[in-house]
Amino acid sequence: MNNVFNIKNLDLFYDDFQALKNIDLDVEKNKVTALIGPSGCGKSTFIRCLNRMNDLIPSCKIEGNIQYHKEDIYDDNYDVIGLRTDVGMVFQSPNPFPMSIYDNVAYGPRCAGNKNKDKLDKIVENSLKKAALYDEVKDRMNDSAMGLSGGQQQRLCIARAIAMEPEVILMDEPTSALDPIATLKIEELINDLKENYTIVIVTHSMQQAARISDKTAFFLMGELIEVDETDKIFTQPSNQKTEDYITGRFG
Amino acid sequence: MSNKRKRIDLIYQGITYAAASVAVIVLSMIFIYVFTNGSGLLNFGLITTDYHAKFYNSGIQEVDQFSTAPRPDNLGEDTYYSEKWGIALADSEDREGKLVITVEYVSEDSPLKNLMYDKNSEDEKPIQLEEGDILGTIKFNDKGSALSIYGAKNMLDELDEEDTFREMVFYTKGGGIRGSIITTLYLIGLTMLLALPIGVFTAIYLNEFAPINRFTNILRSMIEVLTGVPSIIFGLMGLAVFVPLTVKYTPADSGNIISGAMTLAVILLPVIIRSTEESLKVVPDAFRQASLALGANETQTTFKVVLPSAIPGILTATLLAIGRVIGESAALIFAIGTAIKDDISIFGKSTSLAVHIWSLMTDEPANIELASTIAVIILIIVLALNLLVKLVSKKFTKKFD
Repeated sequence: MNNVFNIKNLDLFYDDFQALKNIDLDVEKNKVTALIGPSGCGKSTFIRCLNRMNDLIPSCKIEGNIQYHKEDIYDDNYDVIGLRTDVGMVFQSPNPFPMSIYDNVAYGPRCAGNKNKDKLDKIVENSLKKAALYDEVKDRMNDSAMGLSGGQQQRLCIARAIAMEPEVILMDEPTSALDPIATLKIEELINDLKENYTIVIVTHSMQQAARISDKTAFFLMGELIEVDETDKIFTQPSNQKTEDYITGRFG
Repeated sequence: MSNKRKRIDLIYQGITYAAASVAVIVLSMIFIYVFTNGSGLLNFGLITTDYHAKFYNSGIQEVDQFSTAPRPDNLGEDTYYSEKWGIALADSEDREGKLVITVEYVSEDSPLKNLMYDKNSEDEKPIQLEEGDILGTIKFNDKGSALSIYGAKNMLDELDEEDTFREMVFYTKGGGIRGSIITTLYLIGLTMLLALPIGVFTAIYLNEFAPINRFTNILRSMIEVLTGVPSIIFGLMGLAVFVPLTVKYTPADSGNIISGAMTLAVILLPVIIRSTEESLKVVPDAFRQASLALGANETQTTFKVVLPSAIPGILTATLLAIGRVIGESAALIFAIGTAIKDDISIFGKSTSLAVHIWSLMTDEPANIELASTIAVIILIIVLALNLLVKLVSKKFTKKFD
């Protein structure tokens, strides 16, 4: 068993509305797990449970059990800050801070208390290299990150997450705001990253899931319909609803 | 159908044009009125000199060498010149509108520049008559005094007949607003020192940390109510609370600049809280989420990401607040007092520019010219502040946009 996350009987409510129903899912180490499904099926809500970003929504209530390395992350005494440093996140639309490129990447380490300039320089350089952005920005590290293109901004956000040296990177539709070329670059990047990181990615595009993921989970109306090896899901799904969805009969 | 649409379109557009022109006309009327009345007195002398004239009582030693300088060419026709004494006098009005004799010119070799001494000082230190001074009376040894009410020509004729005099009374022009300007600057500085940190931190609490419940809602609506309270009521509060407080704990013995600044700070708090909160609200949630997702805590998120993004808005709030400080008069009448002073101490009474205008207009007769001049200066200060803040916030937004 080489699981990072073990999720058991997860229910999630926004006030009275139940957004997730009895989810059971394991996330394997150093694999790319893709979450697919139509809009509003709860896949983004689910991924936000994994680093407790749903804490920000007051009406959100969670029942069930999410274990990260066998520890319940919704335990009252659980160290949320520590969880979020181990489980990084990349959001739907690129959201670099209105600071310089360098400061963006150095932000997380600095907040964690790392003040050594040489170390920070090294972290920033390595993170940008891993995010395949270093060559494009190495001469303008002190320029505003807002001046980068959308695709570059998203790779900067990935570099920012990598700078914390996380184990898991959650990606919530990271390419939905990007053009095809930028999307391709991000996908190549994800392929490189899975050597060292565990990636959970929400995507609208079934082709994307097929191209980059090892495992695919299909969500529908807040339920996890099916989860399996990606090849199997896209060739011989065991559930009729999955087959209907991937063949384009709805959604 | 399309004709009707066109007509309605025309009417609506006409209304907007009319409203805009009314606004422009009213504004330019105010500007034109203030500038035509006030530009006459506008000069650096007004800004740098004292309000209260300084009186000099001077005598003169025996004169061996009288002036030989000829009348300068640039003197006006109504200016009278004495070649013997080397001075030119003219009838004019001072800044309060009273008829006076002003000294228009003093030649380099004039005895009045070189030989006079101060009768009031013990060691008879030398003083000199300067251009712009006002001549009161000249007392002679062997005949009646020359008084200013008889005019400049009479005074000069009387002076020409004599070789020396017993006493010459002259005084500086006065009416300057240096003291009020300094008070206003003190008020701006002190008020901002008090109101900005409290206001900004309250706004941060309300927008970032406060739980959404009845208490915060009540707090918010109370702040909203405070913005609508007339400032004279805050002035009463200043008189009842801050003046006694400062009298007790500082060297002050009545209304003073600190009590005024405290009162203004209370007036400005709701303004600063509201506008800071507005600028915090427009900071995208994506920034907060990104920061939290990187393992930053709420405090780090607020002070490293949210607050810097809100700085242009906070600067605008500061500008508005400074404008309020400069313009506020009703509250300050109570909280500082209306005494026009030249020696400014933050523990003493004095008056801001706006209250200075009020004082001038309540005089009998009202001094509209000087009041308008101060209004012009206030307008210039506000304009300069405006440009400054625009520049600064542009620099901030340019850097990261």
